Amino acid sequence: MIRRFISMEWKQFFRASYFQKGLAIKILLVLAALYFGGIAILSGAGLFFILKKAIPEVDPIVTINNFLIFWILFEMLIRFFMQQLPVMNIKPLMIIPIKRNTVIHYLLGKTTLSFFNFLPLFFFLPFAIVLMTQGYPVTNVVCWFFSVMFLSLGLNYLNFLINKNNAVFYAIAGLLMILIGLEYFQIYNIIEPIGEGFNHLYKHPYLVIIPLVFMMGMYFLNYKYIKQGFYLDDAVSKKVKEVNATDLSWMDRFGSVAPFLKNDIKLIWRNVRPKQVMFMSFMFLFYGLIFYTQEIYREMPAFLAFASMFVTGGFLMTFGQLVPSWDSEYYKMLMSQNIPYKKYLESKWYLMVVAVAISFVLSTPYLYFGWEIFGMIAAGALFNVGLNSFITLFGGALNRVPIELNVKAKAFSNTNGFNPTQMLIALPKFLLPMLLFYIPYKLINFNAGLIILGLSGVLGLVFRNFFLNKIESIYQKGKYKTISAFSEKK
Amino acid sequence: MISVSQLTKKYNNVQVLNIEHLEIPKGQSFGLVGNNGAGKTTFFSLLLDLIQPSSGYINNNDVLVHESEAWKPFTSSFIDESFLIGYLTAEEYFYFIGELRNQNKADVDKLLSNFQDFFHDEILGKKKYLRDLSKGNQKKAGIVAALIGNPEVIILDEPFANLDPTTQIRLKQILKDLAEKQGVTILVSSHDLMHVTDVCERIVVLEKGDIVKDLQTSEATLKELEQHFSGQFMV
Repeated sequence: MIRRFISMEWKQFFRASYFQKGLAIKILLVLAALYFGGIAILSGAGLFFILKKAIPEVDPIVTINNFLIFWILFEMLIRFFMQQLPVMNIKPLMIIPIKRNTVIHYLLGKTTLSFFNFLPLFFFLPFAIVLMTQGYPVTNVVCWFFSVMFLSLGLNYLNFLINKNNAVFYAIAGLLMILIGLEYFQIYNIIEPIGEGFNHLYKHPYLVIIPLVFMMGMYFLNYKYIKQGFYLDDAVSKKVKEVNATDLSWMDRFGSVAPFLKNDIKLIWRNVRPKQVMFMSFMFLFYGLIFYTQEIYREMPAFLAFASMFVTGGFLMTFGQLVPSWDSEYYKMLMSQNIPYKKYLESKWYLMVVAVAISFVLSTPYLYFGWEIFGMIAAGALFNVGLNSFITLFGGALNRVPIELNVKAKAFSNTNGFNPTQMLIALPKFLLPMLLFYIPYKLINFNAGLIILGLSGVLGLVFRNFFLNKIESIYQKGKYKTISAFSEKK
Repeated sequence: MISVSQLTKKYNNVQVLNIEHLEIPKGQSFGLVGNNGAGKTTFFSLLLDLIQPSSGYINNNDVLVHESEAWKPFTSSFIDESFLIGYLTAEEYFYFIGELRNQNKADVDKLLSNFQDFFHDEILGKKKYLRDLSKGNQKKAGIVAALIGNPEVIILDEPFANLDPTTQIRLKQILKDLAEKQGVTILVSSHDLMHVTDVCERIVVLEKGDIVKDLQTSEATLKELEQHFSGQFMV
């Protein structure tokens, strides 16, 4: 039976429409997978030596154990957002004489092959091997390694249990924040007691039984949960959520754009996929931390300009590049309704501008790095509002990939917006702020760079109508193509 | 109201629709029947400028459909579920459509109050997103949304499919009233010959993209249609 399931999966995979996309994309995806896998392997192997050099007085394994809790919580978050519950077409199997247990075990077993389970494997296996070559006791290392793997797999199953529960997510995110906060501000050294726990796992190999029991427990709970729900009206059919209607009529003051704006807010609030994008764009806020903290980049202000643009531009870029696609599910209706295209575009533009403004406010803590950095962020925000928004909308016009709103994007199978044109469009987004800053910076001085970068955005605002009209005409031209691409079955 | 001339649609050199001439006067209830692949939905999509004609044109109230957008304010339609916005509740959707068609909340509410029994208490005030409604209820919401804003032309693709008997009967009455009393031009396609003959004063049969019959509905029409379609199968 299992063999039959596997052959079905095989067909599902190779006959799926995304698989029939261009060869270039496939190659890129494979490269990306190799890249991340490679990075994991390399950093796993190198970590021992890095830690030894950075903190010579502490045993690297102790350091690792201290930070393991962060790894686990972070992994949990990533899984929560990115990992999808495996959906096998259960419905046709329900009336066929196959034991339920077989189906459920298969379903759960399948999740083991997820990319998210391989990442820790790729990371910790090389690390463990290095440990052994460095003369650490083999039993301890092996058992510790398995402990970590069991924990990770346990998270895998735990994720499916909590996946429908946002409260759990906020709890974990909050816990992560608190832990980082406690550690960073050195209020209470929370890391050590937890790390001590993981150290015990290492010191006493037989304790591997605890993670093993945790994993098996999670597996069993999932098994029970799915078995209970193995009826049409439960797990198989989607959960119907009660509407949380908020009164958005105050937005009517935006005039003719208001109906679209109200819709877009609901779009983001009520669908899984746009929420994911929101989360991602929140992450962009921290992009600056990578650049501003490194001394090397202090000498390369062009890169700082690039990073500053990213800090406020997260939502703009991640949401904006998929602009007509967000409405792909009902695009036909929009096209036959009494809709002026420009209003539709304008609404998206307002949304992006508001997002930049909010990101800008949230980025005030970067003042810590000084006024120069903050000035760059401000100039970057202006650039985002005035120019980047239009470049992004323009790029979106060329993007005709339908989106399922209420389905999470899968890691590595989501090729939305991942095509050569899209990449070409992305180039000016990155290069333009760098050039706009760098040339006046080289020719005159730092402040001139800031002013020119900011002015470019203001200029964009002045010519707003011109840009919107141009983009609108592109949309009009591509109308039929877009409609037919969006109505294609996935 | 609507006149079609030399209209063809080809996909990869296969002709799926070929209408030399068709004239639909204002206030007519017009029925389109035909087997799968006859070109019904293709014709409606052309009417709504969702696809491009290979040749010819459609003239909707003196507006060339594929050239101007001026037909949109007085034309409304419901083709399939992709006309619904899944993450809105039925009310929110109606108000949204209302705003697009320059109707305020009160106008929409007034219109909706006429459809209380059509909704059968399953659409309004349910706190459910449209995507979570059953197929039949989705259809009801979509059809009613197409009536918002006093359109002069209403295009409905397969409006009777998926509806329960009570609603089918109610819908037939609503459509008849619209055409007879308010002079709205109604275009309906269906697989159900009985419903179509009940509602429409004129029925056109499409076969592989060609018009093969153009009937004024009378007592004999249903018989004639049944004969036509059963005859096809026997060959």
